[in-house]
Amino acid sequence: MRITRCLTLWLLLCALMLALLGSAQAQQDDPGKPLLEALASASYAAKSDAIDAIVASGDSRSRAWLEALNDGKLQQNKQTGQFVVVLANRGRNWPVEDALSGEPLGEMSRRELDRIGINNALRGQLRSTLAVLDLYVDNPDARLQAANDLLGQVDAGMVAPLEAVRDQEPSEAVQERLTEALAIYRLEQGDAQAIETLSGSLHPEARAALNGAAASDDPALAAQAKKALDGIEQTLKINRGFETLYFGLSLGSVLVLAAIGLAITFGVMGVINMAHGELIMLGAYTSWGMQQLLPGQPGLAVILSIPAGFLVAGLAGVAIERCVIQFLKGRPLETLLATFGVSLILQQLVRTLVSPLNRTVITPEWMSGSLVINDALSLTLNRLYVLGFALLVFAALMLVMRRTRLGLEVRAVTQNRAMARSMGIRATRVDMLTFGLGAGVAGLAGVALAQLTNVGPNLGQSYIIDSFMVVVFGGVGNLWGTLVAGMSLGVINQVLEPWAGAVLAKIIVLVFIILFIQKRPRGLFPQKGRAAEG
Amino acid sequence: MSLLDALADRDRVFDFLVPASSPVDVRHGPILYLEDVNVSFDGFKAINNLNLTINDGELRCIIGPNGAGKTTMMDIITGKTRPDSGQVWFGSRHNLLTKNEPEIASLGIGRKFQKPTVFEALSVFDNLELAMAADKRVLPTLTARLSGEQRSRIDEVLETIGLESLCGRQAGILSHGQKQWLEIGMLLMQRPRLLLVDEPVAGMTEQEMERTAELLTSLAGKQSVVVVEHDMGFVRSIARQVTVLHQGSVLAEGTMDQVSNDPKVIEVYLGAEEEA
Amino acid sequence: MSLSSTPSSSSPLSHLWLTRPFSERSTRIFLAVLALALAVVTVLHLALPAGHPLHVSSYTVTLLGKYLCYALLAVAVDLVWGYLGILSLGHGAFFALGGYAMGMYLMRQIGDRGVYGDPVLPDFMVFLNWDSLPWFWHGFDMAWFAFLMVMLAPGLLALLFGFLAFRSRVTGVYLSIITQALTFALMLAFFRNEMGFGGNNGLTDFRELLGFDLRSDATRLGLFLASGVALALGYVVCRGIVGSKLGRVCIASRDAEARVRFLGYRVERVQLCVFVVSAMLAGVAGSLYVPQVGIINPSEFSPLFSIEVVVWVALGGRGTLYGAVIGAILVNYAKTVFTGVMPDAWLFALGGLFVVVTVLLPKGIAGLMTRRRKADSDTQLKEATP
Repeated sequence: MRITRCLTLWLLLCALMLALLGSAQAQQDDPGKPLLEALASASYAAKSDAIDAIVASGDSRSRAWLEALNDGKLQQNKQTGQFVVVLANRGRNWPVEDALSGEPLGEMSRRELDRIGINNALRGQLRSTLAVLDLYVDNPDARLQAANDLLGQVDAGMVAPLEAVRDQEPSEAVQERLTEALAIYRLEQGDAQAIETLSGSLHPEARAALNGAAASDDPALAAQAKKALDGIEQTLKINRGFETLYFGLSLGSVLVLAAIGLAITFGVMGVINMAHGELIMLGAYTSWGMQQLLPGQPGLAVILSIPAGFLVAGLAGVAIERCVIQFLKGRPLETLLATFGVSLILQQLVRTLVSPLNRTVITPEWMSGSLVINDALSLTLNRLYVLGFALLVFAALMLVMRRTRLGLEVRAVTQNRAMARSMGIRATRVDMLTFGLGAGVAGLAGVALAQLTNVGPNLGQSYIIDSFMVVVFGGVGNLWGTLVAGMSLGVINQVLEPWAGAVLAKIIVLVFIILFIQKRPRGLFPQKGRAAEG
Repeated sequence: MSLLDALADRDRVFDFLVPASSPVDVRHGPILYLEDVNVSFDGFKAINNLNLTINDGELRCIIGPNGAGKTTMMDIITGKTRPDSGQVWFGSRHNLLTKNEPEIASLGIGRKFQKPTVFEALSVFDNLELAMAADKRVLPTLTARLSGEQRSRIDEVLETIGLESLCGRQAGILSHGQKQWLEIGMLLMQRPRLLLVDEPVAGMTEQEMERTAELLTSLAGKQSVVVVEHDMGFVRSIARQVTVLHQGSVLAEGTMDQVSNDPKVIEVYLGAEEEA
Repeated sequence: MSLSSTPSSSSPLSHLWLTRPFSERSTRIFLAVLALALAVVTVLHLALPAGHPLHVSSYTVTLLGKYLCYALLAVAVDLVWGYLGILSLGHGAFFALGGYAMGMYLMRQIGDRGVYGDPVLPDFMVFLNWDSLPWFWHGFDMAWFAFLMVMLAPGLLALLFGFLAFRSRVTGVYLSIITQALTFALMLAFFRNEMGFGGNNGLTDFRELLGFDLRSDATRLGLFLASGVALALGYVVCRGIVGSKLGRVCIASRDAEARVRFLGYRVERVQLCVFVVSAMLAGVAGSLYVPQVGIINPSEFSPLFSIEVVVWVALGGRGTLYGAVIGAILVNYAKTVFTGVMPDAWLFALGGLFVVVTVLLPKGIAGLMTRRRKADSDTQLKEATP
């Protein structure tokens, strides 16, 4: 009692002094001040109420205060009554900061400070309070995150406040999570009814709790838990299936991007372009170069490198066509060798001019992270973007081939070169543009690949054989075939990988295609009729 | 041939019931018999319910406007194209639809292509040697050696086609007409029962055409010949029986006079020809 | 030309195709040049002291032996590419398989002298904690079996692959791509430790072959001479094939495959047989290569190596056989020089070679030589007939 009275007197005096000094103007207006003052009250019951009051206030500093209180670092200046947070309590003089404003106040002697004491009961209260504290913030995403963190962490003391919070919670998702968290606790206590709540959950904590229950001595509980687990396992399988499908489509989209340019040059000109992989590599290096030009703006760089990559690779393609391929008309095997030579030169060129080492392209913020579908399934954003990009490029190419003059001429030249020429189509120009287009698309593939892997001189090599497989599998000269083949090869690869391993999966896919070609030498979607016989 | 022999000969193990070399059975008349044959490419009906019968020893000309299905019909007979439905028989024993090109060729059907296809990197002599009827399996071919009889057979054909002086030269240097002749020579070397000749006189001079006509008519009787040709004068000079194809099926059949007086034929083909 | 190649009547009929090459002028010249080269190297190596400027060191002998193996591989590629029109981008696989068969024999020869001293298991198996030999390693302690497998393993692969591919008429660029996929798949497979072929590191640390120490100069010279003899034999076999009627069927099906079918030849069987023979020759080349370089690892399966072989043939002139030998030796000599002097420039040079040869020299060096000869004879002809 005496201490209280003394303190009150102290406080009054302090307040008077501060008021006189006029410097406490800000502090007095701060709504946090009365909260902290209540904490400093002598009675533990009052302190307990004060903690609840802080939580209820929703003040953004609440967590810092309560954590400091829990650690014994929330202290009061004996003279000024100022609340401070001790940053490090070692030695005689402690560095402190103002608890209300967060300003550093330099060092204070430990003698000047008075610790706001807590007892065990308060410690328990603080622990559970801190756990639910984040559920009071305004941002619903942060609340959901907090609720997620609570799964499996609920103890007896938290049940009551959590239930209270849940009933007031506006967001349904958060509410569900809290219900789950509570159900896990109840299940751990042997409550069979909680199983029903958990049977729909995919969270590992829920499964852990159910597993615990399934191993319990109570046969009824165990059986029920087992049943719920089976259901969850089923759902998980489906989710894993979706995940595999997603990764497969993602790999497939890369294959489609890499192969579709090849499909154009191969299908239209009958030209095997072994340098196609290196054109992809050029696109990837363009993406990297663009980021070097625009440091600190990875997003803009990625956007700009799309047209830039197309142009760089496309021009390189036109150069290859003019310098090499046009002299090898009608000699596909020689073209294959010559373009292989070009690919060696391009690789060595990059090694000499840039570096033989791999480079990393920074992923812009809006492309990183992942899209969370549920506890078992989340889709990485960069792969999603690449998938979308691949489909976009495919659609654009379809449009070019079907709806533009160039596309018409290209199709005419593909079907009957001599006829097309006699009708006034400049076949050599069409060749050049087609090759440029195919090369440009390879550049786009490179830009996309740069977002997924490191950029290095050997980047193209690792994709060239796969790309050929896609084109051959899909049927030469058929863009739809390339799309279907690329996507299905990607998915097949991902499906095989878990039980065969990455390398073996790849071997199996290669052998599969080798065998497939025996059955259908012209691919999935062959060109039919007399034109295809020639 | 005993069963043991048949089993020892690997090529004949599976089809020894109908040995590949078994004679063509023409007791019922026709050497080639096509019934209700249909082929379509991407929805386009190239051959539409085609029925055709060629008798043993006959010389038949087949005419028809472009796209009538003449070449496709040849492809079907020689095993290059598989029909969607229908039947193709060589004699009354060999179902051609179950055989591939080399098998059909060794049964005795020879073909001359529309575009002359000779082996340009090889000499004229070699071209004829390869075409010669012989054991055409791999090892016998590797160890093959020309007998005197075979050599004189080649010389004989060289004389027939008038290329004796060029026999050591590469076939690639021949003129278009000479290539046509060489290809006919290759056909003769095969000693086929049935010759399919696609546009034999394209690119030939008047004189060469006459000789070709002579040659083809002399073959008829011993061998059956089917000639596909655009040149009406040539057809008139050799034809006894003419079949007109139109849109993949037979439009008319008969002698040249009958056919050229048929109003349907005049409408689709001859009419256009005479107007032009 | 084929008319004039009437063989000597003394040779037995069944071997006619094999003895015919000896009556050809080009084969005689080739064999004479090869024999002379082998003799000169042997004499310079044995007769001259080490300090002499013309002395051929043991290192050079092995290097030349390596070139001869490459030359045999090139001849095998030329047989299928030049005469059959099949551009195989997977012949490195057959070469490597032959090499692995030999490597397995050499590994078993090490016996208990390995690092771990296991009498049966090669070091890498001990390292991987395997307790017994995988089934496919059995028999490789016997030389005859291993030497048989040198031809059989590539031959069987070629038979299986060729049977599937030629039956369904996969030709042209499709076939090239598929052969490339084949060697790529094999490379990935051999990189795996579980395959039982030493994974990444391959097979190495060989000691002796048929009881001869691989490190001794005499053995190295012997291997060099053996490579030369293998090249000569391979050349004669190939010449025998291409000079026979079968060879003419090959050329005919290279230029007009469909036409050959209509003549009654089973083109796919011709292709299959020649392909298998070619694969076996490649296997022999690989088996002689491995003891000379002392290691075989999966990089021999790399698509780059296989396609490099093709450019040797293209440079020398496809469809001549001797051109392939010239090309292989020239390119590999250039590679040795380049990688010694300026390693960075080698890929530029090789890449440039691919382009230059295909665009400017479609018939290769052999083509240049025959063109010159033809020009000579043409001028002679003109002079003779004024």
